Amino acid sequence: MTNIAITTLLDQTDSDIAAYLEACVHCGECAEACQFYESTRDPKYTPTFKLAPLVKAYKRHKAPLRGIKKIFGLVPDEVTEDELREWEPLIYDSCTMCGRCTLVCPMGIDIAGTIRKVREGYAAADIVPDGLKQARVNVEKTSSPMGVTPKALLAQIKHQEEDTGLKIPVNVQGADYLALFSSHEIMASPEIIGAYARIFEKAGLSWTISTEAYEATNVGVQIGSGPLAAKLVQRVVDEAERLGVKYVISPECGHAYGAIRWAGPNLIGRTFDFEVLHIIELLDRLRRDGLIPAGKKDDRKLTLHDPCQIVRRGGLLKEPRRLMDDACSNFVEMPGAGIANLCCGGGGGVSANLRAEELRTKAFGVKLDQIDKLGGVDAVVIPCANCRGVFEDGLFDLDRELEVIGLGELVAETLADDPPKPAK
Amino acid sequence: MRHILSLLAICLIVATSDPASAQDPGMQTRESIMERQRGLGLSGDYTLPSGQPPAPETVQPGSVPQLGTRGYASDSDIWRALRDGSANATPSSSTAASQLMQVIGDDWRMIRHDYLIKYAGWVLLGVILLIALFYLIRGRIMIRGGRAGNTIPRFSMSHRIAHWFLASTFILMALSGLIILLGRPVLVKGLGEWLMVGQLGMDASVVTTLKSVNGVLNNAALQGHNLFGPVFILSLLIVIIRFMKGNFFQKADFGWILKGGGLIGGHASSNHYNFGEKTWYWVVVLVGLMISVTGLFLLFPWLSDNLRFHQAATILHAVGALGMICFAMGHAYVGSVGMEGSLDSMLRGEVDVNWAKEHHDLWYEEVTGEKVTHDHDEIPETAKGTA
Amino acid sequence: MTFLDFVEGPMFYAAAAIFVTAGLWRIIGILRIGKKPDLAPARGSATAGWWKGNLRHFFPRGLFAERTWMHILGGYGFHLGLFVLLFFAAPHIAFIERFTGLSWPALPRWGFIIAAEIAFAGLIVLWVRRFSDPVMRQISDWDDHIGTWLTFLVMLTGCLALQESVVALRATHMLFVNIWLIYFPFSRLMHAFTVFLSRGATGASYGRKGMNP
Repeated sequence: MTNIAITTLLDQTDSDIAAYLEACVHCGECAEACQFYESTRDPKYTPTFKLAPLVKAYKRHKAPLRGIKKIFGLVPDEVTEDELREWEPLIYDSCTMCGRCTLVCPMGIDIAGTIRKVREGYAAADIVPDGLKQARVNVEKTSSPMGVTPKALLAQIKHQEEDTGLKIPVNVQGADYLALFSSHEIMASPEIIGAYARIFEKAGLSWTISTEAYEATNVGVQIGSGPLAAKLVQRVVDEAERLGVKYVISPECGHAYGAIRWAGPNLIGRTFDFEVLHIIELLDRLRRDGLIPAGKKDDRKLTLHDPCQIVRRGGLLKEPRRLMDDACSNFVEMPGAGIANLCCGGGGGVSANLRAEELRTKAFGVKLDQIDKLGGVDAVVIPCANCRGVFEDGLFDLDRELEVIGLGELVAETLADDPPKPAK
Repeated sequence: MRHILSLLAICLIVATSDPASAQDPGMQTRESIMERQRGLGLSGDYTLPSGQPPAPETVQPGSVPQLGTRGYASDSDIWRALRDGSANATPSSSTAASQLMQVIGDDWRMIRHDYLIKYAGWVLLGVILLIALFYLIRGRIMIRGGRAGNTIPRFSMSHRIAHWFLASTFILMALSGLIILLGRPVLVKGLGEWLMVGQLGMDASVVTTLKSVNGVLNNAALQGHNLFGPVFILSLLIVIIRFMKGNFFQKADFGWILKGGGLIGGHASSNHYNFGEKTWYWVVVLVGLMISVTGLFLLFPWLSDNLRFHQAATILHAVGALGMICFAMGHAYVGSVGMEGSLDSMLRGEVDVNWAKEHHDLWYEEVTGEKVTHDHDEIPETAKGTA
Repeated sequence: MTFLDFVEGPMFYAAAAIFVTAGLWRIIGILRIGKKPDLAPARGSATAGWWKGNLRHFFPRGLFAERTWMHILGGYGFHLGLFVLLFFAAPHIAFIERFTGLSWPALPRWGFIIAAEIAFAGLIVLWVRRFSDPVMRQISDWDDHIGTWLTFLVMLTGCLALQESVVALRATHMLFVNIWLIYFPFSRLMHAFTVFLSRGATGASYGRKGMNP
């Protein structure tokens, strides 16, 4: 088991990762950016420390000049199973791969990305938290980590059709856009489906949902299993290409976007015949093309949370802000907003991991302090369903009240008025 | 009577003066000699060989009369004028102004050699011995009731870094400074002449070797000392500012002194810093600043041409530094071996709660809000001679 | 051959050769590990990102500056001071000229001294932090400490030889320089070169995604 872990770790070490491992000077600045360290002050949560098994394996087996060092007995010992298990909570419970450590590192080491690689070794050896194991089982059965079946999806779609009075296309061959959702959205905030319907109706887009590929959440990326991640992406790709769509819409979900947009083609080994867009990206485009003009603005005091995988690691810094400006008359940025914003504390599989709940709540506490500094906000707008779930759980655990809204939903609520549709 | 004495005086001076000028009687009068002595070397009038005082218009007071074929003023007159600064002579360098020669350096050299250097080494050794004796007799002072196991924070990161930064530069300065002050006496005089040649009967060439060694060490030490000086001053200023809060003397300190810091009469209450620590802080501030100022003056000697300042600077610098080194050794002892639990405060920033309750109970109460009881106010157990 | 001749002659040549050879071996070794081409459609330029990443990480982001200021101050003080010292101190320029014929204007002696003082202050503060800060204590290893001490000793022996009148002191400095050159490519001191590879890699990956690294 240890062998497969080590072999996988070494396979994952390309020249970029090697450069990272060779550049760390043990300055510890990464700890200053990590909420898990900040909220516990425990030095073991220092991001670079979390990479220790990989560093050991690399220095022993792959690092240049290891030959000479071996002669002098200066290479590390082989990684043991005990060490791997000891590090498991550090890799999975105390890291959301948010990337703040990457930002602060003076050597520019992508520690968050490297954690992703370390998880590959762990997934191959099946040393993963139980919560994620369960998600994996669900995903293999239904493609959804929560076990959402096509039947459940269709039921939610029906409710939304009733609520909006619009027909929601399903399995439509030749549509331009294929919309994916996260299980969290389908089950906990299905209004987003109706919101999509209203927006796309307004914009005149031809779109569809598919019962073969509706899940955007990529458990493979969270667990760190390349093969599983590839399988999940392949499912979407096959269906998208079968339906002949031009675009696949990745929903308001963190890692899902990165999984399909940036990792996807590399996971399955080829480019796609379609373009991947994040829903926020799409909405921004539609707005700027004049297809979905904004109407009456929401006048509550609203602030925006920057989901790590969408803004810092996804590149969509301006798009959510433009949409917020159009939708709100009292939009205030929290201190530290933007690229370096704080993480919700529950991304990257942490929210699915029960063992990590206490730690996650602590990390979330740092986020809450940031919002408290702003003071007097009526609601937080969050373009990521997982973040919203983490917020809701965290607020409950900390006995606090604060409203949490999705951005897509907000945009739908603030569209310019149309004549009301007749109810079906 | 007066004339007899004058004659006697003249004869005396003639006897001791330059043969050429012996031909000039009446060159010095008793009056002028007495006057000069009363003024302790201040200039008086110098009489011309004819016995007449110099005409004011032609010879200004304090100027050396010109020498003629038979000598207008003796060499010793010139010498005296040059010695006490009354001669109108200018050395080539401008720093000493009109003072061609100064002999106050003799005093300085004597103080430095016969007192400073002579005793410096012994004082240092004495302090080390005292500390060792204290340890052997009193032993390591353990925490009453043993370690509790849980800790409270005492020094922040910035405190600790400030402290160790100063400690590092201080050690560098102390070592290089001691080499400069005591290098030659210890290596050449002590080790070479006294021990190796005197006691062990080795060949005198070892002294020559040791002189070279000392030369190299001193050269290195001076360069290091001069370069690190400003770094030391920076670290000193940082510590002075960072540690000022809590270091002003308070009421509890008086009680602490009366109890000998806990050595006599059991528990001594204390705030964040006890009297000993506060004293050390203020020594660091005052003596440290004095060393810094004198040190800077020694680095930039052209700032003054008053040689008294330079002499004072070297003596004060050395005495202050020695004092600080002695204190620092005591401080290092108490902060490490001397008392169980004290090193934690500066290394980890946190201290055991029992240590806090025993040594800084008022601070502990302030920080935690808990009252500390002093039920067992007897002298705590010590581990004699063992760490 | 005197000791000075040895340390400035054969030992220096050997040390410099090891420095260059092992250093290149290590860098080329890292690059040769290679990377699979990225098939995802780019949103921005990876090359521009490579440069941006290298430059951007010189400056701490506003949000982190408050928590990392001591490192920044000490780090820059040490590195800039050392850089100035190494390349603009008259004895060093003279040394380089001896071997390469190249020379350039030197700093006046007081400039050299100030640069050295800043470099020492930075190095000492950072090392003190390394054994005081719980995070750095957790992650530091012997390589960190040896690297720091060796560099400190090189600087110290240089400072001790400042009067340039005692051969033994100059030779000692050169000896430590040689040891440092030999140690360098096998240690974390190589960050001097790997930093650009690392920053560039992250910069390129972010740049490709259309993000600021």
